[in-house]
Amino acid sequence: MRKRVPVLAIMFFAVSPAWAQSPPPPDQAEQIRILLERVQQLEKRVAELETKPTAAAGAAATAANVPAAAKPEMAEAAPPGPGHQHEMAERQAATEQMEVHYPSLQIRGFGDVDFSVTDEKGSTSGFNLGQLDLHLASALSRKVTYFGELTFNAHPTNYTVEVERSIIRYDYNDFFKLSFGRYHTPIGYWNTAFHHGAWLQTTISRPDFVKFGGTFIPVHFLGLWAEGNIPSGGAGLAYNFGVGNGRDSMISRPGDFGDINNNRAWVANLYSRPARLYGLQMGVSVYRDKITLPVVTPAGNEFREWISAAHIVWTKETPEFLAEFANVNHKSILTNAITNNQAYYVQIAYRLPWFEKTLKPYYRFEHTHTPLSEHVFANLDLVESIAGLRYDITNYASFKGEYRNTKRLPTEPRVNGAFFQTDFTF
Amino acid sequence: MSATGQRIVTFLWTILWSSVLLYSPSPAQTTRGADIAVVVNADTPVTDLSLSEVRKVLLGERQYWSSKLPVVLLIRAPEARERDVVLRVIYQMSEAQFKQYWVAKIFRAEAVTPPRIVYSNDMQFELLTALPGSIAFVDSRNMRPGVKILRVDGHLPGEKEYPLR
Repeated sequence: MRKRVPVLAIMFFAVSPAWAQSPPPPDQAEQIRILLERVQQLEKRVAELETKPTAAAGAAATAANVPAAAKPEMAEAAPPGPGHQHEMAERQAATEQMEVHYPSLQIRGFGDVDFSVTDEKGSTSGFNLGQLDLHLASALSRKVTYFGELTFNAHPTNYTVEVERSIIRYDYNDFFKLSFGRYHTPIGYWNTAFHHGAWLQTTISRPDFVKFGGTFIPVHFLGLWAEGNIPSGGAGLAYNFGVGNGRDSMISRPGDFGDINNNRAWVANLYSRPARLYGLQMGVSVYRDKITLPVVTPAGNEFREWISAAHIVWTKETPEFLAEFANVNHKSILTNAITNNQAYYVQIAYRLPWFEKTLKPYYRFEHTHTPLSEHVFANLDLVESIAGLRYDITNYASFKGEYRNTKRLPTEPRVNGAFFQTDFTF
Repeated sequence: MSATGQRIVTFLWTILWSSVLLYSPSPAQTTRGADIAVVVNADTPVTDLSLSEVRKVLLGERQYWSSKLPVVLLIRAPEARERDVVLRVIYQMSEAQFKQYWVAKIFRAEAVTPPRIVYSNDMQFELLTALPGSIAFVDSRNMRPGVKILRVDGHLPGEKEYPLR
């Protein structure tokens, strides 16, 4: 650990100048450009009004009359005069530019670079290149859209490319949207709120039980999905319902090449965003599947899986509050033996009012329990506390520093670690 | 009590105490000025929305006026007063939070595009008349004919109880 102190000191001093400087105004260049455009538009408008005093007087009179509360809500359009033809042609061109053309592909990326050091025996400290994540969104028509997400992942000998999400969606209306493809499974909150963009989440890492490559819940799901709002007034209810392949024989995978046991999994998620408590979301999820393991355990290799989860979140940042609980129930088809595995986390954060609201300290406690009689999961026991600080360098990039205290098995010692990350979207 | 029950109770107690410790009432919004009218394309089949319904539209949670008419969101560029009022009263977000909200919304595959930015009142009215389903927020002193002004919580701009100012 002592050898790592100089490294930490260097990182601290490297970061210090960034703290000492006051952060630049966000998007200054963009604002200047916008202001210049507005000045040009106003100058042009003044010139037009000066040459057309009669028309200007008429327009001013109409505008002055409309806002009066007693006036009808629908105002009648006045026929354009011949002097407006050039202006109208320009406006029509601007309008055409603003209209959506199909397909309209938009690409956004997310990335992060990490540094970690822990006192775990045998571990090494150093930098890691996080996921490079590309997100594609394209409207194919007014009601059909495509979303894709690709990640590039660093490995010891190479990079791998993974299709994380690939979704084509048809919107009938707000109450029914049907899509097909590969999703992040709507169990709980985190898995469908932050996806692979580290910049979107307050902390450096995801909670252990929803981490990518983990087994506790099926993070990905391949199949079809219906979603929409439920007419419920101020309760703000909405739903997701999906049917898909379920887990692969490697249970962290979603069966991209087909359903290994010819048994469809299904997932349902119901949540509420109450109108009177803007920022609050509460929800429950259930997931049902049949798991077929590649190896036969004393309880056989086929299990019924029933996942139930609940979440409550307050998404405003003063404070931010996230809490999820999940129970994974496995029942052996051979022996009828039942096991229950639980995991939860509670995360709190607060956007401080100083330094242009760029600082957000946070804390998360998480706990995972797997019983000794569990056969589908390896032991996933975990008790972890993390405390950290997020510093938003700009609107689209941040620094995070985090301390973690982790304990897994009762026989293993606690592990302390310091983690740093810079993440961004582009 | 079983071990599972104890873990659920621990989880719920943690939530309860965290909520108590973190509770802070929202600061009062006292800034008053000219009313900001909620204006839609004349063919839009809506005349009255509650403030929470306006919020749903702006958050992208309501994306259709009817099954054949999608909502087209128009919002003024930064520095415009209309935008300030919309962010303060409806979104209750800072400029940075607003931008991050739409990045996240699109990333979650819940929307394809953010609201369209308009740089002037002229441009705003031109788009309102040209784009079916469009909705915009306009200083009520700068109204023009050919569009529909919506009641918000049953009130029109200029009335005492009108919430957007």
